[in-house]
Amino acid sequence: MSVSNLLSQYGDRYIQALLTTWKLTAFSFAAAFALGVLITILRVCPIKPLRIAGDFYVQVFRNIPGAALLILLVYALPYLKIIFSYEVCVLIATTLIPSAFCSEHLMSGMNTIAPGQIEAARALGLTFFQMIRRIVIPQALRSTVLPMTNLLVATMLTTSLASQVPMRPMDLTGLVSYINTHATGGVTAFAISAALYCATALLIGFTGSLIDRKVRILR
Amino acid sequence: MNMETPVIELRHVDKHFGLLHVLKDISLKVYRGEVVVILGPSGSGKSTLCRTVNRLETIDSGEILIDGEPMPAEGRKLASLRAKIGMVFQSFNLFAHMTILDNLTLAPVDVLRIGKKEARMEAMRLLERVGVADQARKVPAQLSGGQQQRAAIARALAMRPEAILFDEPTSALDPEMISEVLNVMTSLASDGMTMLIVTHEMNFARKVADRVIFMDDGMIVEESDPEAFFLHPQSERARDFLNAVHSH
Ligand SMILES: Nc1ncnc2c1ncn2[C@@H]1O[C@H](COP(=O)(O)OP(=O)(O)OP(=O)(O)O)[C@@H](O)[C@H]1O
Ligand SMILES: [Mg+2]
Repeated sequence: MSVSNLLSQYGDRYIQALLTTWKLTAFSFAAAFALGVLITILRVCPIKPLRIAGDFYVQVFRNIPGAALLILLVYALPYLKIIFSYEVCVLIATTLIPSAFCSEHLMSGMNTIAPGQIEAARALGLTFFQMIRRIVIPQALRSTVLPMTNLLVATMLTTSLASQVPMRPMDLTGLVSYINTHATGGVTAFAISAALYCATALLIGFTGSLIDRKVRILR
Repeated sequence: MNMETPVIELRHVDKHFGLLHVLKDISLKVYRGEVVVILGPSGSGKSTLCRTVNRLETIDSGEILIDGEPMPAEGRKLASLRAKIGMVFQSFNLFAHMTILDNLTLAPVDVLRIGKKEARMEAMRLLERVGVADQARKVPAQLSGGQQQRAAIARALAMRPEAILFDEPTSALDPEMISEVLNVMTSLASDGMTMLIVTHEMNFARKVADRVIFMDDGMIVEESDPEAFFLHPQSERARDFLNAVHSH
């Protein structure tokens, strides 16, 4: 089928799929971000078992393939009498994995903070959490806008896992499979999705570098 | 005998870095309004002593008291005692992501729970006093070293501290900026601020110190008033140190 054929027949569905991908991406990234910050605080806190737990978390979810995690969530959890909807399973997988990378970025962002500033914060009488909240996390975030931008794009691509479960509405990748089982969209069906992924990624990248320029810390 | 409670007191403090014994049975009292200068050769433990006072360094044994209250090794109580003791570092250590003004108001608002508006007014007054009020809206990297250090002193003052520790506050500065920082410190001293100062600026030490402590090899070797120390050092080691300094 030609692009115009595909669009006239499936145009609405492509738009719906794009919105679904955006929605999954936004939810996953927001949750991954919050979780990543939390895990990072664990990894630098004064209590050693918590630090170890944080490091362990990151090692696990940084290294597990997304499909493997999704299979575990969909097929293994029910054995533990835990049953989530397909959509929730996808969201969990697309949150846990990026959260580990988010934490890695934040850790490297923290390394850009001169140790003297931490000493100054302690000398001023700030508690651990005050120091984390006012000094460490803000600087770590502001120096990792570009890696976080890349992570947002990676998170979007990870949401294509949704195509592996019968989820409605479909995401961009799921729609390609759908079209190709109902008609012969072939490579063209995929190309349209790919173009939409790319356009979104470009938009994200552009916005990211704007933000980076605005918040980058002068040293 | 002085019956007053010292602002800072160290009792028999010992500290090792691994096998290196850096503080050997250090006992020290700093009374209200006193300016105590610590001198000594490189590696004698001056910085470590200074940092030990507010427990930026852990200690192996001994006691540290602030206003007569023992300083615990960790926790909220430690943070609240630290807030009473200002600290000025060799490398300024201003918070890089904040304006100078925010550097000054952060701890008063978060730690002392002073209102934002009041903290800002107080901060501006202090910046005025150290001569960098016109830099208040800039971030640290936009200031010269001398300006950053004066702002760092103002940040310490904003906590209304009982005493301020200075660890070689002018060692990272270009020569032409040293005096602007020393002038601020001299004016603090004459206003009665309690200060414990590690410095290599001998003229300054002689001028502002009420008492000089000479350290060598982790020990307090000599403790006397500045004139006595500079004119008639008692120990061989202090004489060697002063000779080495003067021959520069
Ligand atoms: N974090 C550390 N780990 C291990 N050894 C250290 C550490 N900090 C300082 N030392 C050592 O402890 C000794 C005392 O150091 P300190 O910095 O207190 O000396 P100082 O009198 O301030 O010297 P300077 O005049 O050069 O600043 C030195 O031998 C130093 O090498
Ligand atoms: Mg030193």
